[in-house]
Amino acid sequence: MAYPATSTARRWSLFWLLVAITLVVNLPIILMVMNSFQTTEQLVSRTSILPHDLTLANYRYLNDRTSFWQFLWNSFTVSGVSTVTSAAIAALAGYALSRFRGRLVTGYSRALFVVQMFPIILALIPLFILFRTLGLINSPLSVIILYTVVHLPFATWMARAFFDTIPRELEDAALVDGCSRFGAFVRIVLPLSGPGLAAIGIFSFLFSYNEFFVANVFLKDQSTMTLPVGITMFMQQYSTDWGSLMAAATLTVVPTFILFLGIQKWITYGAVSGGVKG
Amino acid sequence: MTVQPRLAGETGSWRASARSWYASGDALPFLLLAPSIVLMLAVIAYPMLTGFMYGFSTGTLLKPGKFVGLDNYLRLLQSPDFLHALWFSLLFAIFNVIGCYVLGLALALLMNQDVPFRGFFRVALLLPWIVPSIVSIVSWRWMMADQHALFNQIIGAFGGSPIYFLSDQNWAIAAVIVIKIWRSFPFMMLSLLAALQGIDRSLYEAAALDGASRWNQLRYVTMPQLRNISIVLCLLMTIWTVNDFDTPWLLTQGGPANATENLVLLAYRYTFGRNDVGLGSAVSFITLIILMALVVVMLRRQRER
Repeated sequence: MAYPATSTARRWSLFWLLVAITLVVNLPIILMVMNSFQTTEQLVSRTSILPHDLTLANYRYLNDRTSFWQFLWNSFTVSGVSTVTSAAIAALAGYALSRFRGRLVTGYSRALFVVQMFPIILALIPLFILFRTLGLINSPLSVIILYTVVHLPFATWMARAFFDTIPRELEDAALVDGCSRFGAFVRIVLPLSGPGLAAIGIFSFLFSYNEFFVANVFLKDQSTMTLPVGITMFMQQYSTDWGSLMAAATLTVVPTFILFLGIQKWITYGAVSGGVKG
Repeated sequence: MTVQPRLAGETGSWRASARSWYASGDALPFLLLAPSIVLMLAVIAYPMLTGFMYGFSTGTLLKPGKFVGLDNYLRLLQSPDFLHALWFSLLFAIFNVIGCYVLGLALALLMNQDVPFRGFFRVALLLPWIVPSIVSIVSWRWMMADQHALFNQIIGAFGGSPIYFLSDQNWAIAAVIVIKIWRSFPFMMLSLLAALQGIDRSLYEAAALDGASRWNQLRYVTMPQLRNISIVLCLLMTIWTVNDFDTPWLLTQGGPANATENLVLLAYRYTFGRNDVGLGSAVSFITLIILMALVVVMLRRQRER
């Protein structure tokens, strides 16, 4: 894989270089986690970078005095539902892109590109007006619908890339045995692409869980806010209470990290294949 | 008695024709694509058309206004806010694309070598990309918030005077760009690394046989092989940067004095701040046109080659 004749010394100097780069690059995140165990007074008066006298005060404050858990629950609901809907829809569309040719499929591929570059603000203005008359402002449904569409290009390209790796001969065999085309998809292709669909699902979940802009427009009521919107509220209300803010941010990334570890080996799949194949 | 069989026959023939359509094989791709097409019509096509119409009228979020022709667009062209947002969007996109491409490529080249624990680094260097925007902004804000924040303590230790990163216009622009680069480079690194690993080894062996130095191998073997993917990646990144709301909004809310307000923030402020749907739609429509023009030009040039 790599350049053939690399000496041990060179390998380890590269290693230490990368350790340094990784630390510098992740410094904001590392400091945030460390600072979440310091009270705001400690943070302000502290002179060294490293923390001392660790405390859980911020976490206790989040638990007792704020609606953090409510925000987290809202985030999970919105992300969970939009993950299921977008994965299901993208699996169907991805299969069409993988197995069929024709004007419809080509046109659809182009439409996906338009969705990919669409400035979402342009959709938000008319949809805000429409959703207001439908009573969908402050409803998780509004956000779920938008997330499902926003994920569509990425999820579809990824699904297509997975289906491309499954040999057509398997379906042909099923067709010979009297299975319908759709039956072959459901009985043969889908079960084989389990890991792929799981990866698509986790991706969609991460996107929804991290998303701020759409949620910020539609979710104005505390009881429906997702975490990113909820935290901006903390930011405005207690702009100088860095301790609690850091604790909230740290708790927010815990699910992100866990899910990310689950998909990290799949990550290049959709990211690159979608862009290149089109 | 005479009516019923005829009706049954009609439904039967409707069913039969549906069945034959399905059996012909044309139906399945359509049915597979139907749910996503419906959603795209509702969430992309409908707003695009309505937004286009809104751009030619006055009106608020609560009640529609009257048709004013090109008035909104003419007002925008004379508005310093709009021209500034256009300029900042451009600046933001150019600096971010260059910054995250250079950084991503450098790291990808480094990671493409035989390094112990490469898998670990590949994951650890992706963190800035996967943390939620709000989390990255909270962590960066703390480091640059005021004169007592970390960066200013470091500057102070070297005897410099404090820099007001978020209240000085030029520093705020720099801060937004740096944070955006930090959030974007992992995607570049990951995609370029995958592309690097796909380059045929025999090309390097041939180059080495001909006595090409490492630099010349990079210049004449690696870079030409990365050309196509680089164009696609930079195009995608440009689109994402122009459409970015989170970074400037969460860091500075477009301030100080609108210095870091891009087109999306401006459209948001006109619509949801000033309650002027016409102006907001016009700005976002212009954004779409700019992006579409960019994509069309780039794809056409690529096809010509």
